[in-house]
Formats: sequence, C-alpha cells, structure tokens
Amino acid sequence: MDLLQPSDSALISLYLAGQESAFAILLERHRSRAFTTILLIVRDEDVAEDLLQDAFIKAIHTLKSGRYNEEGKFAPWICRIAHNLAIDSFRRGKRVPHISLTDNDRLANTLTITDDGPDDILAREETHTRLRALIQALPPAQKEVLLMRHYGDMSFQEIADATGVSINTALGRMRYALINLRKKMTANSLDYDSNLTPFDTTPVCVQRIAG
Amino acid sequence: MIQTLPHSTLLQYVYNELPAERQREVEEVLQHDPDLAAVCADLLLAQRALDGVRREPRPETSEAILRYSRTFLSKS
Repeated sequence: MDLLQPSDSALISLYLAGQESAFAILLERHRSRAFTTILLIVRDEDVAEDLLQDAFIKAIHTLKSGRYNEEGKFAPWICRIAHNLAIDSFRRGKRVPHISLTDNDRLANTLTITDDGPDDILAREETHTRLRALIQALPPAQKEVLLMRHYGDMSFQEIADATGVSINTALGRMRYALINLRKKMTANSLDYDSNLTPFDTTPVCVQRIAG
Repeated sequence: MIQTLPHSTLLQYVYNELPAERQREVEEVLQHDPDLAAVCADLLLAQRALDGVRREPRPETSEAILRYSRTFLSKS
C-alpha cells in the first residue's frame, strides 16, 4: 500500500477501525466530484450543500453498519448516492434554481489558487458557469451518463448496469453528450477559450483520465 | 494495421477503459489517421472543460459531515 496515497478501501478499513482522519481524507478526495454531480442536477448551491451532507451521512451509516460492499470502489458508490439524492430532490422541485455569480467569498472558497489576477479568476468562473448551464441543458439521458462517467467515476459498463441499458447505448449517449457540448461551446464561443485551458495542439499526445 | 476505429472505442480510450494492448492499437491508429486524431483531440478538450467546472462545497459543509461522523463514532 502506498502510504502517501492510500487506496479508498484502505481508508475505509482504517475508518472502520476508528481512525476519523481516514474518513477526512476520503471526504476531501471525493467531495468535489459528488458536489459537482449534485449541483449540475439541482442547480441550487444551498440545496447541493445539503444533499452532499445527506449523501455522506448515508455513506457513514452504511459503512458503520457493515453494509458497505463495493469492493473498494468508493468513488462510483458515493457519486451514485449523490446522484440519486439529487434526482429525487430535483423531481420534488421545491427550490427555485439559482447560481450566483456575485458572491466573491464563495468564489474565493471554490476556486483553485492560481497566479491569475481577480479579473482572470472571475472570467474563468464566468466561463465555467456558462459551461455548467450547457451541461444542464443536455437531454436527461445524455446528462446522466456524462455525470456518472465524468464526475461519478463510473465505468461505461457500470453506467450501463445502473441505468439498465447496453454498454453501447451508454457509450453512444456519452458520445452525443460530448458532441452536443462541443457544438454548444462553439456556438457560445467557449471553445478553445484560454480561460478554460491552454490547448495542446499535438493531437496524439493524450492525457487521459486515470481509470 | 487497423484503418478505422468506432468512436465508442475512442471514448473508452480517452477514459482509460481499454486494456493496455488495445490502447496501443488505438494509439497506432491515431498516429496514421489525422481525422480520428482530431476527433480524439475534441474529446480530450471537452473532457478538460468538464474538469474545469468541478466545484468544491463550502468548508462548513465538510466540517458538518466530519462532525457528524465523530458523533456517530462516539455513539457506537
């Protein structure tokens, strides 16, 4: 086991043995994916914060009661809990969606620290906010696969199993989700935006997401 | 040499879901197929953009979760 980067399953074992710090690492490792998944569904930051708490509380109960059986795959498990809670909440539709761009304290808390000035940070956040809106506008089936794969860290096979479709259907939905996003990004001048990321023009030199 | 690839395979490649041997095959095809390499670049661009929209919850939310966990622990 890598002591500097303990696996999720190792952290769970330590947590169940009474080491609270192990759970803190798990939370830090996975809260962003789970929170983003929720926020992109419910579109309300306050609701998303509440649902993130609910998701992790549910996880704590399951872990502590000995019912956890995900064979070390904590990331897809917690994100599925988060996803399901967010879908339930969105269907109930009790809150009016709002995403504020004006809360500078909030932005300061959420943005990665960089050498950019305040204007750059705000411009980047505005770009990301517009991109979030594009994701939210995707057809539900495509958005579901995109959230599960990209933020939930579920494999395409796991998504297929969870949603009751074939892996080819899951792959097709993801493909169309990315195509749709690409089209909308281009239409909204978000593509190749330096605020998003400097683009390496070497097409074959890929940096894939670790599985 | 493989001449073409289904885009679904490319998607699995971009998300690192292919076995090592299949990955090498895809990379071989990408080196000889500029159109497919462009599609791959588009996928990677979209992927990076998606990474950019990731958000962190408020520190207070994480604190509340950890506080709850500690309470749960003391009950057991």
